[in-house]
Amino acid sequence: MGLTADLNVSVQSLLASTESMDVTTTNIANQNTPGYARRTVVLEEAAPVDDGASTGVDVKTIQSIRDNVLDLSINAATAQQNLSSTVSSSLSPVQNVFADTAANSIGSTIDAFFSSLQQLSTAPATDSLRAGVLTAAGNVASAFQSTASVVTQAQQQADQSVVQETAQANSLLQQIAATNGEITTAQNLGQSCNSDQDQLSSLLTQLSAIVGYNTVSGSDGLTLTTSDGTPLVVGNKAYALTNQLNQSGFNDVYAGGTDITSTIQGGTLGGYLQSRDQHLATMQTQLDQFAFQFAQAVNTVQTAGSDATGNTGVALFDPPNTTSGTATGAASSISVALTSGSQIAAAASGGASGDNSNLTQMIALQNQSITNGGTPDEAFSNLTFSIGNAISQANTTATATSNILTQLQNQQSSVEGVSLDEESSNLMLYERSYQGAAKVISTIDTLMGNVLDMGVTDPGY
Amino acid sequence: MVNLLNYAQQAQDNAAQELSTGRRVNQPSDDPAAEAAMVQENSLSAAVDQYTANSDSLTDVLNTGDSTLSSVVTLLQRAVTLGVEGANGTNNQTDLNSIAAEVSTIQSQMLSLANTSYAGQYLFAGTATGTAPYVADPTTGAITYVGNGSQNKVQVGTGLSVATNLPGSSIFSQPNDPNTTVFTALQSLITALQSGNSSGITAAEGQVSDSLNAVNTAQVFYGSTVDELTTNENYLAQEKLNITTYENTLVSADTATAAADAAQAQTVLTTTVAATAQIDQQVNLLTYLH
Repeated sequence: MGLTADLNVSVQSLLASTESMDVTTTNIANQNTPGYARRTVVLEEAAPVDDGASTGVDVKTIQSIRDNVLDLSINAATAQQNLSSTVSSSLSPVQNVFADTAANSIGSTIDAFFSSLQQLSTAPATDSLRAGVLTAAGNVASAFQSTASVVTQAQQQADQSVVQETAQANSLLQQIAATNGEITTAQNLGQSCNSDQDQLSSLLTQLSAIVGYNTVSGSDGLTLTTSDGTPLVVGNKAYALTNQLNQSGFNDVYAGGTDITSTIQGGTLGGYLQSRDQHLATMQTQLDQFAFQFAQAVNTVQTAGSDATGNTGVALFDPPNTTSGTATGAASSISVALTSGSQIAAAASGGASGDNSNLTQMIALQNQSITNGGTPDEAFSNLTFSIGNAISQANTTATATSNILTQLQNQQSSVEGVSLDEESSNLMLYERSYQGAAKVISTIDTLMGNVLDMGVTDPGY
Repeated sequence: MVNLLNYAQQAQDNAAQELSTGRRVNQPSDDPAAEAAMVQENSLSAAVDQYTANSDSLTDVLNTGDSTLSSVVTLLQRAVTLGVEGANGTNNQTDLNSIAAEVSTIQSQMLSLANTSYAGQYLFAGTATGTAPYVADPTTGAITYVGNGSQNKVQVGTGLSVATNLPGSSIFSQPNDPNTTVFTALQSLITALQSGNSSGITAAEGQVSDSLNAVNTAQVFYGSTVDELTTNENYLAQEKLNITTYENTLVSADTATAAADAAQAQTVLTTTVAATAQIDQQVNLLTYLH
């Protein structure tokens, strides 16, 4: 092997060092870029230049250090964490009307209603006490109405958020599909696609904050589906996410024309849907049944007695004024049907004006299991528990997944993240190897000079 | 580090809220089971308050009935004395007539007492409290009962009710002879006195005496019910205290624990902030590569 060959080897070495320093510089520059995985230069021994003895170095590839399993775990934990914290925050405004300290809650107004009946039972012919019962009944109706309205408002807010989150998820899906397409094209051409991979990784994490998904890798890149396999992205094609009103007046989520509302799990979108369609919807149904059954029980006793003028009692609450009918909407529409306290049927049927025996029957309702949830107090207490428990569980899950997420992120940054220490020492290493190669070149230059000068200059010996 | 800061901040907020409200549970999600129990305890507490209020207002009504019957007893005792006086054979007809006049006054006072009302409601009318229970016939002057024989009951405790009234028919009529009333007895006495019929006077005085005994017996109901209510109110006060104590164990902050939590959160917060500041000044290899 000759000096010329050595020169070639040294030049290759210079190039490799330069490229390595480029990668290091890129790593340092992107240490805070979301989705960026640190890169390393993979060097390999170059093919022999001539006689097989002289081999140099080649840059084989530039590799991103990416742990796909870890990335998937992080995205899954992000989806779960965002779901739980969204459920908690969207239910929180509702729980205060069920607190024991809430003024004019359903529970406290029902207690006050029974108290007013008790008071009237001590002097059944007293007009002011009869008026007091009507006022208390009106307060019960208002409490049901305002509580139902708080729940409806929370549902509507969640519904608005569903629309916003759908739009965001849709935009991310388009970007993911486009990036996915670019990666496939680059890979087919054998080109590097590290920066596209970084971008895809960042987009996937952003998407997991909004909606949970499953991924499958295939020949045409990544396929994203919902929990039941409905496609969201296949290769470079994204299924457009749109909203469509359902019969409850809320927005369902469609992917390319398929209703995927019930299959969305995780993320803020999943959280808003869970709050709206499960927790709050159940709460609304329970309130309706509670209002309906309470009104029905009171009306049944009321219509069995006689009022102050000796007439048979007419229903106190409206609706329902008959034993038939459905509970739907009862909580938001319940009102007092009587216009005068004298219409309260305090007396047993045909009883004298001072008789309180029908009132006694009505008072007894307080301790009777007249609702699905038991006595009126128990029914209210059940609602307090269920809303409190839903939020508390969501909080617990949010905290737990947040801890898991932190651990995973720490792990991710130790594997994929840029360490300034490591990059600095690499920089020194590459600098030294550059200097070394440069030194070799300069030595070869001197040697070649010596050879060319031979016989021209006096060597001095 | 930022997570840690958030936790410490939240722990401090929680402890501060506990200390300022005095409550460990400030919303249902803080402790769903305790809050659900609390809601029911509030209902029980409201019920106990109402039972106490019921006992108070019934005590007022019953005391009015009791004192009215005391006046009735005094009047009847006077009538018995007058009957005995009229029957002792030393009086001439003029004397008897003046005794009859006094008995007649007693009879009209008796009518007024039997028609006593409280807050616009007649006390001795059974449950027909809207109309005066004893009515004098405009022509014959005969006094008849137009009330009913019903009693109201009012709840003054869980599963505990008391009767709030006695119908006039159970007070002013003879238990074994409903047609003989205080008024017919007094009328017999007046008639006997006016006719100077000495055996008639004695017989009528006996009827008035029997009426007196009947009223005395009836009056016991008022006194004993008031006693029962007083005992019940003491019991209710104890129950209220029990509920309050239980409510405290359900939701109240343990001040010592909350204060310790607050202090601990403060320490964590301070050290975390200090540590975070340190990170900012941390050196790396680049610092030494000049």
